[in-house]
Amino acid sequence: MEAATHAEAAHGHAHGHDDHAHHPSGLMRWVTTTNHKDIGTLYLLFSLTMFFIGGLLAFGIRAELFQPGLQYWEPEFFNQLTTMHGLIMVFGAIMPAFVGFANWQIPMMIGAPDMAFARMNNWSFWLLPPAAILLVSSFFVPGGAPAGGWTIYAPLSTQMGPGMDLGIFALHIMGASSIMGSINIVTTILNMRAPGMTLMKMPLFVWTWLITAYLLIAVMPVLAGAITMILTDRHFGTNFFNAAGGGDPVMFQHIFWFFGHPEVYIMILPAFGIVSQVIPAFARKPLFGYASMVYATSSIAILSFIVWAHHMFTTGMPAAGQLFFMFATMLIAVPTGVKVFNWIATMWKGSMTFETPMLFACGFLFVFSMGGFTGLVCAITPIDIQIQDTYYVVAHFHYVLVAGSLFAIFSGTYFWLPKWTGHMYSETLGKAHFWLSLVFFNVTFFPMHFLGLAGMPRRIPDYALQFADFNMIASIGALGFGLSQLLFVAAIIKCARGGEKAPAKPWEGADTLEWTLPSPAPYHSFETPPVIK
Amino acid sequence: MSDAQKPKATPLQVAKAVFWSFFGVRKRAEYEKDAVSLTLLQVVVAGIIGAIVFVLSLVALVRYITS
Repeated sequence: MEAATHAEAAHGHAHGHDDHAHHPSGLMRWVTTTNHKDIGTLYLLFSLTMFFIGGLLAFGIRAELFQPGLQYWEPEFFNQLTTMHGLIMVFGAIMPAFVGFANWQIPMMIGAPDMAFARMNNWSFWLLPPAAILLVSSFFVPGGAPAGGWTIYAPLSTQMGPGMDLGIFALHIMGASSIMGSINIVTTILNMRAPGMTLMKMPLFVWTWLITAYLLIAVMPVLAGAITMILTDRHFGTNFFNAAGGGDPVMFQHIFWFFGHPEVYIMILPAFGIVSQVIPAFARKPLFGYASMVYATSSIAILSFIVWAHHMFTTGMPAAGQLFFMFATMLIAVPTGVKVFNWIATMWKGSMTFETPMLFACGFLFVFSMGGFTGLVCAITPIDIQIQDTYYVVAHFHYVLVAGSLFAIFSGTYFWLPKWTGHMYSETLGKAHFWLSLVFFNVTFFPMHFLGLAGMPRRIPDYALQFADFNMIASIGALGFGLSQLLFVAAIIKCARGGEKAPAKPWEGADTLEWTLPSPAPYHSFETPPVIK
Repeated sequence: MSDAQKPKATPLQVAKAVFWSFFGVRKRAEYEKDAVSLTLLQVVVAGIIGAIVFVLSLVALVRYITS
């Protein structure tokens, strides 16, 4: 805070200059930018691009699964499709999208002029495109892209062609980018809040990102360690995961999931944050149980570190281990239930309206809760042993990641687009996008529960005849869901190019600091920190 | 925030705050008291101790069940 005030005093003479003074224009503006809004936009555009690349791979998967038998792809290539779909969506689409939101929103929501480390911010973004190019170009090297699943289990990953090396390098770079982004976010939140904004006055989106950033700093190095060990096993004669050399492939699973489970919360906590901003705004009531939301978020974060082996019940572990991880996992339902209760209580007796952001937030609540419950089903060890590696699990994690994280990203985009662009988005396009997404999402993924319960394994290009009907329905749904996302792009482009002028605060019930700025938000905001009472 | 005028939280108060954070619920009046009297260091240390106690009690429970 003090630092911000000093900086403001020092730069006082520069005020009143043109917003874009001192900045190169054209392409170089984006390459050299240190502005949190520019970098936020870059992150969001990057993740949108990766979302469509990942979606294209999903089309490839669903086309092959439309009918039993092999129609389009060799099984080896099908494995590449599932693996790369997962890697791209997790590391290229969902995570950068939330960092984009953080960049745009956190400084504005806490009344800071920019992120704490503006140049590092530029670097953490510009590491991503090379990583993405490496990852995608692995399709074109001998042996093709990584094909061992997004979890890159050894020994699959230690035996694969050079595509795996490209994948490992890409993950390293993306991990470094995430760590730098997180350090930046933590420093910004802890040091640059406007005077009077105590931690417990911060908007919930800022809180959830603070906790997420700590999770990222804690687990990204674990992933980096795991994939470095794979790399040395592959090329430098080590035997970390090679049983023949005294290593243990199961150790990879433990290390991977020690990263992987907190990663799940990294992808959902910022979504909780967005929904916690949107629901009060459209219910025109303050968030019910703000403090308990903060407490529940920290609780989820802590618990996320002690449940990793629930991904490994069939790998083999003592009964006491199974019970421990089963109990710990089921306990996460308590703070998560507290959150869902608080969102519903916020809506209770509120003056609700259902503009697109609110629709997506309600869709999130409805569909994410279903994903949460199927998660509880998977947490029960004897059931998990039956359904592990079946389509039930595929259905479960798409319910939490698509309807959870992605719907929250859509909700947040429509919510803040007026602030970002200065124009209102088309409500017609937004609503069409929501309803088509919701319907097609369920058409795609709901039948997968039945497929899984009936025993259809995941990651296979061909299947037994009895699974044909539900697969056909799922593939039709996937086509519809993918095409519906073009409406999202149309809505964004239309909004960016013009339309009804957005007022400073288009949403009557919104009360965080960014709405005190004009729309579009000026290039430099809060050079003089606002005072929070 | 200056430390001078803040009332110091007792270990019991820190433990209570951390216990409720594990559950995810906290009374408004209680949390407002926490917000002024708890330091970050206290919360982090108590959080780690709380996590260890939580893990140990779960381990004790599963040992009891499987014995």
